[in-house]
Amino acid sequence: MQISRRAEAGLLLGNSDEALALVHDQSEIALQLIEGYMLSMRLSLDQNDAFTLEPVAVSSMLYDAAQQLTPIAKSYGVELEVVTAGRYGPVAAHQQGFKTALVSLGYALIEALPATNRSQLRLQLAAHKCRYGIATGLYADSELLTTEALRRGHQLRGRARQPLPQLTHTGGAGVFVADAILQALGTKLKVSHYRNLSGLGTVLQPNPQLQLV
Amino acid sequence: MARVIMLEPDVVLARTYREALEQAGHEVCVCREAQEAVFCVDDGLPDVILLELQLVGHSGIEFLYELRSYADWQNIPVVILSNVPPYEFSSNADLLRDTLGVVEYRYKPQTSLATIVSLANQLALA
Repeated sequence: MQISRRAEAGLLLGNSDEALALVHDQSEIALQLIEGYMLSMRLSLDQNDAFTLEPVAVSSMLYDAAQQLTPIAKSYGVELEVVTAGRYGPVAAHQQGFKTALVSLGYALIEALPATNRSQLRLQLAAHKCRYGIATGLYADSELLTTEALRRGHQLRGRARQPLPQLTHTGGAGVFVADAILQALGTKLKVSHYRNLSGLGTVLQPNPQLQLV
Repeated sequence: MARVIMLEPDVVLARTYREALEQAGHEVCVCREAQEAVFCVDDGLPDVILLELQLVGHSGIEFLYELRSYADWQNIPVVILSNVPPYEFSSNADLLRDTLGVVEYRYKPQTSLATIVSLANQLALA
């Protein structure tokens, strides 16, 4: 719909270059969401693929995701920041799966943040050590990202138009695509807190053997 | 020229609508949340409110009940422009029309910019 309306506005208002750039960004992210959904299906059907693990540097994964999200964040007026304070060794993970989950999640949050009456629109892609491993995800200054909201969203998924009403005005496709990918990879989408920010993400396990390499 | 209040949570879409309406000579106040829209109505009575039902926090229907609870705001025409298809409200059409004063219900994915502009033009003349 955004693509169609923006294209129409380009014709109507005569600013076709700007419209074209936005149409491009929106179509890219829509395609990535569809790809993400297909990946989640593929991973859940083919468990051999799901456990094709490789050494992954968490910070580079966050930078890659941020790079993909930058154009869309710009059009929504959201500032992206990558925070990887601390040294983390490589983790054994499904690189494509985790990166796609981060991008899907990022898109959902970028779209959701400006819909609330918040003065600061900043999203952090961050990794930090926690009790269970390396918590990796997206964090915002939002008290609306709660475990309860996520739990209700899971219950309402597929039954309500707006399963996460406190978080987003949309169907929250990005959140659920990320959740499906992470589930297929044997982990979970979780709400976590970091430096007074709330976020959605997952916990990656550091691999002592990889650190020796 | 009409004063249009648009309650639209998607900032990219809101920007697109705003540009088209402003080019047609209308004054547009874009709000993302129900509370913000109440403040905006309080700042100056609009000629029309364009309303999305799916908002973060309070829904569009809650906003309508709030709007119609004020005596001065009973006659402001409201056009629903939503991602929720009208057939989902078919059993409540009377409620929307008679109690909540909705003059038109448009399904957003099937409503072009030109239609929205012409709707605002019509209501400005009314």
